[in-house]
Amino acid sequence: MQLPQAQLAVLEAASADDAQSVDALAAATDLPPETVTGALFALEEEGLVAVSEHVDESISLTEEGETYTTEGLPEVRLYEAALDAGADDTPAQMGQIIGASGLEGPQVDIALSNYARKGYGAIDSGELTADSDAEPDSDPEGAALSAITGADGDGGVAVDDVEVDGDVVDQLERRDLIERQESTTRSATLTDAGVTELMAGVETAETVGQLTPELLTSGDWRDAEFAEYNVEADAEERHGGRMHVLRRTAERVKEVLVGMGFQEMDGPHVDADFWINDCLFMPQDHPARTHWDRFALEEPSHIDDLPDDLVERVERAHREGVGEDGEGYHSPWDEDFARALALRGHTTSLSTRHLSGHQIGEIEPPARFFSVEKAYRNDTLDSTHLLEFFQIEGWVMADELSVRDLMGTFEEFYAQFGITDIEFKPHYNPYTEPSFELFGTHPTTGELIEIGNSGIFREEMLEPLGVEADVMAWGLALERLAMLVTGAEDIRDLHGSLADLEFLRNAEVIY
Amino acid sequence: MPTVDIDPDELRTLADVTDVADEELKDDLFALGLEYEGETEDGDFELEFAPDRLDRLSVEGIARSLRYQYGEDRGVYVPTTTEADWTIRVDEAVPAERPYVTGAVIRGVDLDEESLDSLIQLQEKLHATMGRNRVKGAIGIHDLTMLRGAPATEGNPTIRYTGVAPDGERFVPLDSDRELTPGEVLEDHPTGREYAPVVDDYEAMPAIYDDLGLFSFPPVINGRRTEVSTDSRDLFVELTGTDQWTIDRMCAIICYALDARGATIEDVTVEYADPSVAAAAIEESDGRDEAGGSDEAGGAHGEAGSGPDEAAEADTGAPTLVRPDFSTKTKTVSHDRIESILGIELDPDEVQDLAERAGLEAETREETAVEVVSTIDDADVADETVRVYDVTIPPYRVDVLHPLDVIDDLGRAYGFNELAPNYPEIGTVGGRHERSRREEAVRETLVGLGFEDMLDFHLIGEADAYDRMGVEPGTDVLGGSDPARIKNPYSEDFGIVRPWALPSLLLVLENNTHRAYPQDLAEVGFVAEVDETAPTGVAESRHVAGVLARHDAAYEDAKSRLQALCRAFDVDLETPPTDHPSFVDGRAATVVADGDAVGVIGELHPAVLVEHDLEVPVAAFEFDLAGLGAE
Repeated sequence: MQLPQAQLAVLEAASADDAQSVDALAAATDLPPETVTGALFALEEEGLVAVSEHVDESISLTEEGETYTTEGLPEVRLYEAALDAGADDTPAQMGQIIGASGLEGPQVDIALSNYARKGYGAIDSGELTADSDAEPDSDPEGAALSAITGADGDGGVAVDDVEVDGDVVDQLERRDLIERQESTTRSATLTDAGVTELMAGVETAETVGQLTPELLTSGDWRDAEFAEYNVEADAEERHGGRMHVLRRTAERVKEVLVGMGFQEMDGPHVDADFWINDCLFMPQDHPARTHWDRFALEEPSHIDDLPDDLVERVERAHREGVGEDGEGYHSPWDEDFARALALRGHTTSLSTRHLSGHQIGEIEPPARFFSVEKAYRNDTLDSTHLLEFFQIEGWVMADELSVRDLMGTFEEFYAQFGITDIEFKPHYNPYTEPSFELFGTHPTTGELIEIGNSGIFREEMLEPLGVEADVMAWGLALERLAMLVTGAEDIRDLHGSLADLEFLRNAEVIY
Repeated sequence: MPTVDIDPDELRTLADVTDVADEELKDDLFALGLEYEGETEDGDFELEFAPDRLDRLSVEGIARSLRYQYGEDRGVYVPTTTEADWTIRVDEAVPAERPYVTGAVIRGVDLDEESLDSLIQLQEKLHATMGRNRVKGAIGIHDLTMLRGAPATEGNPTIRYTGVAPDGERFVPLDSDRELTPGEVLEDHPTGREYAPVVDDYEAMPAIYDDLGLFSFPPVINGRRTEVSTDSRDLFVELTGTDQWTIDRMCAIICYALDARGATIEDVTVEYADPSVAAAAIEESDGRDEAGGSDEAGGAHGEAGSGPDEAAEADTGAPTLVRPDFSTKTKTVSHDRIESILGIELDPDEVQDLAERAGLEAETREETAVEVVSTIDDADVADETVRVYDVTIPPYRVDVLHPLDVIDDLGRAYGFNELAPNYPEIGTVGGRHERSRREEAVRETLVGLGFEDMLDFHLIGEADAYDRMGVEPGTDVLGGSDPARIKNPYSEDFGIVRPWALPSLLLVLENNTHRAYPQDLAEVGFVAEVDETAPTGVAESRHVAGVLARHDAAYEDAKSRLQALCRAFDVDLETPPTDHPSFVDGRAATVVADGDAVGVIGELHPAVLVEHDLEVPVAAFEFDLAGLGAE
């Protein structure tokens, strides 16, 4: 008979008397183990070899288990701290003992839940007692961990190789301190048929590795036998090109807004405080305008180019208010301060520029505008705050708008992202009245979280800008929406030069 | 956002709602705009407040709002005051930067630890908000029994607000047991050091004297002699500041809180030696000193203000003021505007009811349309009459600037969450900005060429942008232009707006040397440089940058991708050789798109790679997005 080369080599290496493992056969034939396994299955199907399987169970320590082999089990540490505090005599304050034990975070709960279970003492109304008869040194779980770590090689240790009670192993597994792995060893022996065929003589069949242009053009492919591949094996890892996950989220937002009839705005990142704050009726001594919140520019520091008539109207609104019954702020107003340049703290500067008619010409109602652009704030850099973030900004202008229109618009927007049940919390902004913070329920945690800020622009803001219609507006951080949608826990993974390529490569595509 | 700590039990007592459970209380507070943030160690609620309703910075103020919400109180309430005994005299030596003063005498307070803490918290929160960290207004509260007025002057006991040289006086400040000069307080006392910047530019130090000497050094610290304790029964409240209105409003909020605790408020006379200061003070006031008086709204709770309504005259001839200023103000709001903003129809009775539930009072009348303060411009209504409301605003409401603010109050009383959302039927056409569409098209093409799209910070360290790339600032190469520099950066690593994008991509490579290669990264992103001809002095543009980091990366890898990109946008690409300090000599070229030099391409210099801890070669390019189409 004829057999492919690999199968023949395996058949020749196998023995009728001793079962040989895949590894042994691989060594004898100089073939990769997966090829040997494939060949064995083929030979078994032909009835030439018998394949037997043996399952080995091994255990290894988890990272947490590893920690406890050096630091000791939390409940033991708690017990020792309790003894030091004299809790075997009189009950002692739990907080103090925990402090003394050095336990932190989730370890505290672990220690407390195991403490009583093991009979180390009792916990009652915030006080701990310690049972002086307890013997933590002979704690079976601790001993088992040591035994496992002592015998542990690279891939864990066979269950049979450590003298540990089965119940203790189960308990350790429940505590996530160890992991069990199973591995299957296959061995093969020649069958009688196999011996007979070998005696009769087996030839190598011609097999083809790669299909070549020559094979195709010559027609030789008709007689070729194709070597079998292990089609289950993992292939080389590929990352390929992909769009940044936050960029995709931004694109999704833009798509939704365009679909709702909004036009995109564009404008400068570095801008005069006049457009960023003064036009928004933000008093110049507002805490958010102090130097430590905004990124003022050192060079260049001031804008030359501002429309004089608008500056005058804005100043008057700040000083005197707008309308018969209006009042201004009892705050200083200095044109030089308004001319100071900064990185915009919100993209509402784009809205003021557009509403003023100075960006793309006069805008007549009805109109809807939006931007998804960066804003900059001198905040703390941590898992929920960045120095620069994308702000979704949108506004609607019409002759008459009510808070019900505002609510309906935002409900529609957030529903596109699966956020329903929006709550509107009455809020204060210097530039809107009424104002609302928008809250939504996190889809997985069920927590109520702030997802935006909104309101109807004040007349003190619109009148100087020359807008006679009503304008309602809202803003929110894109990163916050992205965290909601992607479940990301650290905003820095999503955005910026500190990004981890692994995170970006594994992030689920947003659409 | 600022927070205020409130004992929930005390809140229940003051609001008269002992049977409201914690969760319900939290919901009711949320409806007021006070978000529950957590609990303090003592079990107090930590509430986040929006900085408009400064009258809610204390448990007393929040309780008052709850009482209105629960319907326990209605309408405007103005506390009754008793006739002035004490006088504050502001003399000529007062610091010109801080000439204004106001105050009140509080009799019969019953302070325990809890209520004293609450009073101190209110004082501190007012300092932080309306007082702009004591710059605009600062409050001093003193034990009245420790003060000695001058009996020699005609009848009334008097204290004196003046200015002294930094070393011109000695007194024992709070939290100290030795006598210090104001100058020494600013240098040696912890509170003094904290607030020294407020008085840094003052020519003289503000000082308040009684017969025994200096007892207050506003806005920095009080003297120890008059320290308030739980034993104090009568208090003297003084406020100094940079304008009369601000300190009068802060004073009203303090007085309302103490009034809610059952104390009696007694007027104080304020005399300004400088007539121009006195005139400015009256000008800024909300009305008490105007002829004819104000205090029209007595409210359901009694007569407002018992002091003289008309300004009297001091010895100097300047008018005197009677404080605290509890005068109310009036805003006129039209019925149409209320309905158009809230999006519902209301009866006049309902509006008046909502106003009373909001702690306001609304008188309604009809008016000819032309006089109405409204934004609805309809020329045909000149002959029609429309309904308006004259709404009375109590003196603790510092946030009401415009009739719109009254409408917001009415909406809150109605319950905004009771309103049915409505999607407005307004037809508009949506669309993207051209620049944003072009960026997106380039990104898609880059991704098709196998690049991982990056989104880097626009702020970068100066060293990252220049030194570590081998580039000198102010040189005529890509990335060499002068940067827009931040005055107060978060840290050196974020000191400038990036003038080019490759340094950002190098940072990503540097942070990811443990991740699998190849790392083919690209970004279409924002860059900026100083440019005097730009309207803001800063030229902003978008650059296209790409890096190919792999064990065999070479010039050709970058060039082939750049060629494909240019072909996709129908742009002719030429790459004449050039020198660029970030690239290997002889392996760098200018990117010339349709005849314009727009960027650079090449193999990055080994010194740049080593500087970023890279052990693989990197081929790279960067050019102005404008090269791929008209900007």
